[in-house]
Amino acid sequence: MAGTISLQPPIQARSIERAYAETASIPWYIWCCMASVLSAVVGSAWDISWHETVGRDTFWTPAHMMIYLSGVLAGIACGYLILSTTFQKDSRLRDVSVSMWGFRGPLGAFICAWGAVAMIAAGPFDNWWHNSYGLDVKILSPPHVLLALGMTGIRFGALVLVLAEMNRAEGAYYRKLERMLFLAVVFLMGMTVGIMQEMTNRILMHGARFYLVMMIVAPIWIATVAWVSKNRWAATIMTAMWMAIHLAFVWILPLFPAVPKLGPVYQNVTHLVPPDFPMLLIVPAIVFDLLRQQTAMWSRWKQAATLGAAFLVSFVAVQWPFADFLLSPASRNRIFQTTNYPYFIPSTSPWVRNVFIHTDHTPGAFWLRMAIALVAAILMVRLGMAWGEWMRRIRR
Amino acid sequence: MLGAAIPVLAHVGSPDVFYEGDAGPYHLFVTVRMPQVIPGVAEIQVRCENGDVNSVQIVPLRLNGPGSNLPPTPDAAKVSKDDPQFFTGSLWLMESGALQVRVMVDGAKGKGELSVPVASFAQRTFPMEKPLAGLMVAMLLILGIGVISIAGAGAREASLERGEAPGPSNARRARIVMVVTVIVVVGLLYLGKSWWALEDSDYQGRVNFYKPPTAETTLENGNHLVIRARGQNPKWSDRINMGEVVPDHNHLMHLFLIELPGMNRMWHLHPTLAEGGAFADDLPNMPAGHYQVFADVVDSRGFPWTLVGTVDLPEINGKPLAGDDSTWSGEAIASAPGKDNTVSQLPDGGRMIWERGPGPLKAATAMDFKFSVQDKDGKPAQDLEPYMGMAGHAEFVGSDLSVFAHVHPAGSVPMASLEMAQAGLMGDGSSMQSGMAMAPASGPMPAEVSFPYGFPKAGEYRIFVQVKRAGKVETGVFDASVQ
Repeated sequence: MAGTISLQPPIQARSIERAYAETASIPWYIWCCMASVLSAVVGSAWDISWHETVGRDTFWTPAHMMIYLSGVLAGIACGYLILSTTFQKDSRLRDVSVSMWGFRGPLGAFICAWGAVAMIAAGPFDNWWHNSYGLDVKILSPPHVLLALGMTGIRFGALVLVLAEMNRAEGAYYRKLERMLFLAVVFLMGMTVGIMQEMTNRILMHGARFYLVMMIVAPIWIATVAWVSKNRWAATIMTAMWMAIHLAFVWILPLFPAVPKLGPVYQNVTHLVPPDFPMLLIVPAIVFDLLRQQTAMWSRWKQAATLGAAFLVSFVAVQWPFADFLLSPASRNRIFQTTNYPYFIPSTSPWVRNVFIHTDHTPGAFWLRMAIALVAAILMVRLGMAWGEWMRRIRR
Repeated sequence: MLGAAIPVLAHVGSPDVFYEGDAGPYHLFVTVRMPQVIPGVAEIQVRCENGDVNSVQIVPLRLNGPGSNLPPTPDAAKVSKDDPQFFTGSLWLMESGALQVRVMVDGAKGKGELSVPVASFAQRTFPMEKPLAGLMVAMLLILGIGVISIAGAGAREASLERGEAPGPSNARRARIVMVVTVIVVVGLLYLGKSWWALEDSDYQGRVNFYKPPTAETTLENGNHLVIRARGQNPKWSDRINMGEVVPDHNHLMHLFLIELPGMNRMWHLHPTLAEGGAFADDLPNMPAGHYQVFADVVDSRGFPWTLVGTVDLPEINGKPLAGDDSTWSGEAIASAPGKDNTVSQLPDGGRMIWERGPGPLKAATAMDFKFSVQDKDGKPAQDLEPYMGMAGHAEFVGSDLSVFAHVHPAGSVPMASLEMAQAGLMGDGSSMQSGMAMAPASGPMPAEVSFPYGFPKAGEYRIFVQVKRAGKVETGVFDASVQ
């Protein structure tokens, strides 16, 4: 044809691939897995609030259904994805898949499917636990941890699905997927921080155990996202998104009227109890991003030590006085929502009386734990860096 | 009025609560089937015996203090298809300790309410059934092997470019990653198992906390019996102060000494508080023997405890029986099933008759145990008096001593707990829930007394029924075979 240039087939293929890498839309299975994760995120926040407000009067609460819908959605989507990649010889994903037990599929699909199986296994385990030991009114129990592992598996699988696609993408499509990446890491951090909420109540924020727990569950995601993303403000953006989602729950849940259905009742609850105001992780995240740029040329361990220490110090610097504020009358308003207590918390509890619990019995114990928290922060940052670097290499 | 009852909540092997009382104009019979684990679901049955009740609502609260004045949304009990005056419902009991179930009724005579004290505690933990255990092990294997395989697949192929085949170095890296993952998985499983064991031990500790405390007895100066309570959980004595027990129908402790093995002698005594939370009493004349100890107290929160133990006593030359103390001696308990008796001779020649009706006695069935008292001429006795403020007292004792329940005409809850429950009722509690197990203030007492109760399990039982006639306590004794 006049005016056209005939391309050699390999060049043509590469061009098509590049064009796809720049202009493609996010594939259905990523949307499905992210919808599954979102269902679990909203379901979990709603469920915890339901337990604290109404009480678990039946297994069939809408919040429970949202959580289990997450497992069903991820299980079906990833099961189909694995089967179609395995048995459809012309599947687009066939040569960007991994193999396991004779099946083929993206690595993230296998991880999501694992998460769905773990969630399903947690169901009968949790039911037996209730029958054997009573309905647990706490988050940290073995069946709940199995459920949380399942939910984490789905979130991690969703992240790996995004990563594989993102690391093969370019241009606008890359940027679209990067936003998905931030969201996927937000949900992972929400999971690990959320499951520890019994140890991160505001009345524990003047104890070293709180900081130790936070250093175990938060910096790893900050470092991971910073190392996997090309955005120089990745940690800040991700943490800001985490705070925004958390704040949405803090402000939206109390808008719904609800009363306890189980007893004994110790608090006059009239609406859904929201979670605590989010921790000010945004500050150490900004410090992290700033320092990361300054220390980019350092050795990995030196950089991890600096970033880990800076993360801990900046977090203590803002969260310690903020905890004072949260326990003061000035915080008892619609913004900070510090007057909402679960129906089963007696008014004699330090939480309701706004009194700090000191988890460290001696100054020596406090500083020892703080030292361990520092080591944990450094190790977790280093682990996050390594993980982030590995994630940048994921192609399948 | 005799009909209303106070359950005495002695809970040796008899956790369910039976209560008979008035909710305003309605005379109710309430049964609370307690859950085996806490938090757990209690099954509530309400029967109205004298009126047109349209609806029944039930709600759990703390018996007293915080948690006793903010009721959650009440649950509506369902009316039976066969009996329009019989209602059933389920309630989650979210905490251990002294709770109450408030029953609110509405009907042709207006509204009424009553409260039933319940002792909420975990009775046991359950092992995992084999099929479920098998399923769980299979799931664990799938998940464990799955995570190792996923880690291997990720290390081998995840970083490869489109269409690239894994090389030997990828395979080697995958093997290393899988070995590391195996170690991590095994480590996590070990940690999980240890955590589970810890949780199990914690729950078992809670079960033990509410098991009947041991009655540790010492005999001083020939006839001075001292009783100390020792909990089955080491933390028990830190949290339960025996020095702060509250009076239950005028006495801090109701002590039952039953001679073993035949249960052919029984004493019902009332020790007083001694130093350091101990209880002590000067025993009356008693023959040497081996005695079972059941001692009922109610703690300051309204939770009833029955101290259990045994004591070997020498022959006691003690003080004469006085006040509300009483004794009985007679034949040993029937050694074989089917030797039930319904007539018990009384010392003055009169008789006590158990109006038990035809048919076998069934376990786990709420019943009204009716006993009539006749004088030596076979006529209804006219000389009954209140005994510790009540028309009568009954003790249901399993032949293997695994069951002991001290029951009153109001049922199986302690008067002390009931008074606390009443204090929280709207309006004038004393009029709302009148007549509870109290004997009439004036006028002749009926020659019949009844006790709402249900045997917790099949087996042989001895029932001691105690009434007071013309200033003297008389005890009728009945053996019962329960299917």
